[in-house]
Amino acid sequence: MHIKRLLLAMAATLVAAPAFAQAPTAPAAVPGWAIGRPEGSTLAPHAPRLTVTPLADVPVTALRLPPGFRAEVFAHGIPGTRMMTEGPNGTVFSGTRAIGRIYAITRNADGTTRTRTIAQGLNQPNGLVMVGTNLIVFAGARVLRYDNIEANLDSVPAPVDLTAAFNLPTDAEHAGNHFWKFATLGPDGRIYTNIGVNCNICTFDRDRFALLVSFNPDGSDRRIEARGVRNSVGMGIHPVTRELWATNHGRDWAGNDWPQDSLHRVRRSGEDHGFPFCSGGSADPQYNAGRACAEFTQPAALLGPHTAVLGMRFYTGTMFPEAYRNQIFIARRGSWNRDRLSGYDVVVAHLDASGNVTRVEDFMTGLRDEANNRFLDRPADVHVLRDGSLLVAGEQMGAIYRITYRQ
Amino acid sequence: MRRFLCAAAFLAAALFVAPASAQDARRGSELAEGRCASCHGANGRSQLHDIPSLAGQQPGFIIVQLILMREGVRPVAAMAPFVENLPDKDIEDLAAHYASLPPGPSEDRTPRDTALFSAGQALIGPRNCAVCHMPTLVGREQMPRIIHQREEFLARTLGEYRSGQRVGADPQMNGAVVGLTNADIAALAHYLAHRD
Repeated sequence: MHIKRLLLAMAATLVAAPAFAQAPTAPAAVPGWAIGRPEGSTLAPHAPRLTVTPLADVPVTALRLPPGFRAEVFAHGIPGTRMMTEGPNGTVFSGTRAIGRIYAITRNADGTTRTRTIAQGLNQPNGLVMVGTNLIVFAGARVLRYDNIEANLDSVPAPVDLTAAFNLPTDAEHAGNHFWKFATLGPDGRIYTNIGVNCNICTFDRDRFALLVSFNPDGSDRRIEARGVRNSVGMGIHPVTRELWATNHGRDWAGNDWPQDSLHRVRRSGEDHGFPFCSGGSADPQYNAGRACAEFTQPAALLGPHTAVLGMRFYTGTMFPEAYRNQIFIARRGSWNRDRLSGYDVVVAHLDASGNVTRVEDFMTGLRDEANNRFLDRPADVHVLRDGSLLVAGEQMGAIYRITYRQ
Repeated sequence: MRRFLCAAAFLAAALFVAPASAQDARRGSELAEGRCASCHGANGRSQLHDIPSLAGQQPGFIIVQLILMREGVRPVAAMAPFVENLPDKDIEDLAAHYASLPPGPSEDRTPRDTALFSAGQALIGPRNCAVCHMPTLVGREQMPRIIHQREEFLARTLGEYRSGQRVGADPQMNGAVVGLTNADIAALAHYLAHRD
């Protein structure tokens, strides 16, 4: 019965597509995340784990890496660890979402780490960026600057509130959708961040949502770097070409295999990458509105359906083999809007001399249990330490893995 | 088309391999006796106005909520002294304890109002409640059991989700209640408290 109704609903949607694409601007009766959801589906986001995972339960031995690489636990007992940044003295800062904390991880003389919770009770403080000795935190629309943070880890002073200066869309305007931020510092001294779309898929103000934007560190001089990028939670500036690159989450509820999450290359500020009309380079089944996808900037690479691509970094270290230099490591946190799990790994996008992606290959696997369609952890971000090793934040188990290479 | 059918047929449950459970319901029972029972009821069924029942509640929901309270993400003044520095282990054990108690309506539940009940029932489908809370409304994982909860508590909670005062582990409930009127909320709360 469900199936019959579903087919009728789908047929109606397909027939009505052109009108539908222009109509829905009023607040929907269903939550933004559920727009397009076929009736009867029980797919839902996975439950977070917010308690401390004992070291013995951190699945470091399950990790699979190319020959010569090995993984160890860098830090653990940090529930919800996500985006990472590093201070000039080597402190690794990590943001979170649901648990609302910011962690500071320092290394002891014996190589072990010490973790402090330096802020809590924040609304999804996912975006962290170091500007000199100051840590800037994006917690939704709220922007806080913790000055001279590494000198004050034991008694963190009240942050400077930059919320008004950045003037990002409020959490209410996002209506619960894609309000969390990623942030990174460009070589031009500007902060690059995302403004996600305020729904799963809908008609929205394309100058206000689904953007990559940059600011001066004081929140002034906002510039739109890219339009039509649904929700990017990972960005990096190419170390040689200085072009902005970003990962992007595709929409939900358009099937198990469409669209693919994507990697985007921004050659010029303000380019249009096509959402909601096109995703992953092809037409949206409901929101295309008669637009040719060729008129938009094409994705630099497709990264798999619903894989939830998050943090990405160019590898700028020297520890790993030369073949990895200036290539992009990408954390794929893993799918929920798909029958068979996808992602739950770290991949590398290899670029040629002109900056075209030549291939995307697996790097860190082992967290997706294919036989049982389960997962062991969710990689949310990667970070290149100064010694050239690579950190991977495991959000579900509250642990950060460190990957080293030895010939 | 086929992929939609697959999605519709698929039951998403327990996709995350949780570490071996270290939860201890007996220890949780001892912890609850001194701190929780006076408000939430000795059997986990609250007899106090606006205090929720916890008997049979999903352990994942209790764990997430106690952590959000402890962290200040969900501040609840009455709970503040109890959650301050509360260790994860205590939270997990308390959750195991309350999950093990047989659920049921409060003893002081008002009689069913047929019109209000029907109005609430009519909203359950359009609002997709069963997607997360399951068709029996007993919840799953981080999503709570809502059947037979205290009516006035449900009404207040739905209102707080609507105003944005309350957030969960994710913002989905805030989205789910967009546009509900006060009358809708009253009807939903009555239906949930009185459903058979």
